[in-house]
Amino acid sequence: MSSYTDQQLAEMVRDECVHRSLYTDPEIFELEMERIWGRAWIYVGHESQIPEPGDYFTTEVARQPVILIRHRDGSFKVLFNRCAHKGSKVLENPSGNARFIRCGYHGWIYHTDGTCRTVTGGKAAYGNSDSGCPQPDLDLKPLPRAASYRGFVFASLAGDGPELEPWLGATAASFDNMADRSPEGELEVTGGVLRYRHDSNWKFFVENLNDMMHAMIAHQSSAQTAQRMGQQLFGDGQAPAAIQILSPFASDANFFEKMGIHAFDHGHSYSGGKISIHSAYSEIPEYTEAMEAAYGPERTREIFSLNRHNTVVYPSFTLKGAIQTIRVVKPVAVDETIIESWTFRLKGAPDELLRRSILYCNLINSSANLVGPDDHENYHRIQHGLKTQGDDWISMHRYLDADEPNDEGGRSATGSSDMVFRNQFKAWKAYMTGANGAGTGR
Amino acid sequence: MSKPAPQTHEAPKLRVLEQFLFREARLLDEQRWDEWAALFTEDGTYWVPATHGQPDPLHHVSLMYEDALLRAIRIKRYSHPNAPSLQPPPRSVHVISNVMLDSHDPETGACTVNSRLVMVEYRRDSQAIYAGACTHELVRDGDSFKIRHKKVELVNCEGALENIQLYL
Repeated sequence: MSSYTDQQLAEMVRDECVHRSLYTDPEIFELEMERIWGRAWIYVGHESQIPEPGDYFTTEVARQPVILIRHRDGSFKVLFNRCAHKGSKVLENPSGNARFIRCGYHGWIYHTDGTCRTVTGGKAAYGNSDSGCPQPDLDLKPLPRAASYRGFVFASLAGDGPELEPWLGATAASFDNMADRSPEGELEVTGGVLRYRHDSNWKFFVENLNDMMHAMIAHQSSAQTAQRMGQQLFGDGQAPAAIQILSPFASDANFFEKMGIHAFDHGHSYSGGKISIHSAYSEIPEYTEAMEAAYGPERTREIFSLNRHNTVVYPSFTLKGAIQTIRVVKPVAVDETIIESWTFRLKGAPDELLRRSILYCNLINSSANLVGPDDHENYHRIQHGLKTQGDDWISMHRYLDADEPNDEGGRSATGSSDMVFRNQFKAWKAYMTGANGAGTGR
Repeated sequence: MSKPAPQTHEAPKLRVLEQFLFREARLLDEQRWDEWAALFTEDGTYWVPATHGQPDPLHHVSLMYEDALLRAIRIKRYSHPNAPSLQPPPRSVHVISNVMLDSHDPETGACTVNSRLVMVEYRRDSQAIYAGACTHELVRDGDSFKIRHKKVELVNCEGALENIQLYL
């Protein structure tokens, strides 16, 4: 039982500031797992990771081990990774193929939809419905809800709540744009995963994605260096992809203001739209040709003209359509978070696109990258700065009440506004104090 | 006139290779970055895969895959005044062992050397320990060598790792 009342939790989020305990108190973290991560749609994996019957992928939802598996009828299942017998995890490898799922402890065997096939020694020992004895459920349990949008599978630990697509709202267009950038309209996870451990609260990362004020300061050491070196070595000519990827992080304040931010129901947001730090990458003519052959020139221009920077699907997922990467948030403890970074191949697009996504992730998302360590360090410093008694409150005042409604049903503001943070904490408050996320809308 | 006999290179002595690798490790520990970068050929690459047995640095993510340009950017970053994660600065110790000559081309003198590495990175009261297998593809450079490719396969490359700031 929580020692916090709903009212106390609600009082820790004001319109323009939040209480530091939200990042430092282990009890609040446990409540977040139960009420936010236990109610919202949480990203599980992509259907392209399990194309064939029996293909599976193991991951966590709100720290709980789960399995994403392709059943023989072609549907996917999201199951708790827990044997119905003694509770052992039944699949331990990150991914693989299993005709049946077999527990390594006592050998219970399950079908790929989780139903029990064989109990070692026979099911009869567990009684039958005529005997009057209580019978255990012998099946692997599915998560209460699972759904997929453009192949991106989300699951919810809550039995009720909004359906996935309406819940995604305006962020669905970011998934569409990423998939539409394939001449075949399809994405495929490829190129492995980067797993980056942070010694800080999950919310710092989720906030930072659409924090347009930090890049030019925090990432100066790499981005400014790349910018200068690019200018020195290549002048106004075409610089190599690495320079094109790193330099825009050092864009000036004006550029980031102009990118803009956009906030929506349930804590979701995106930045950019017309322009982003990805919009000046040099064109790959062979790719444009493939796209025009598939969609025609006008639709191709339309697809390329949508240039969102980070789309945040609160609380677990962020996507970059223009560079075909996603990052998945996995909270571990109040001050520990693992961020996974995955890359996608655009089916039917030239190889160079995938190589660019891979390069981007190496440079920005790996544990040994050139940009992330400074974010990592800043989160670490906040985690420790918030231990002080200097001030219990963290400001979200910037451009308060200066945002305006947009035509996607959300609100938009200049890049440096704190609107996205305020919007995330509005959802935080609703999840933490309401039932099943009711009231996380605007 | 008879053709001059083609020049052949003898297989380098292990001791010579060891000294080359020890010197490289020392340059890294003493953060003599420019001297370290000069050990590479112009097209030399440095690779830390993200998956055990990873065949390809271009179509699969890596912890690091750097050419001369990226090395130059990283090295320049080391002395940039505004890199939060480098304040206070990290330090390292590299220990190289189990050096073996895997192959040698008598015609060019190029060789492939395998070794084991333990690297400790220290910063602000915490130290991380990395262990892995190194492969150096070396080419002849007068009496010594240059690195055409260095690969460091960390034993825990798939693990969820925190910042690795210094070269392994």
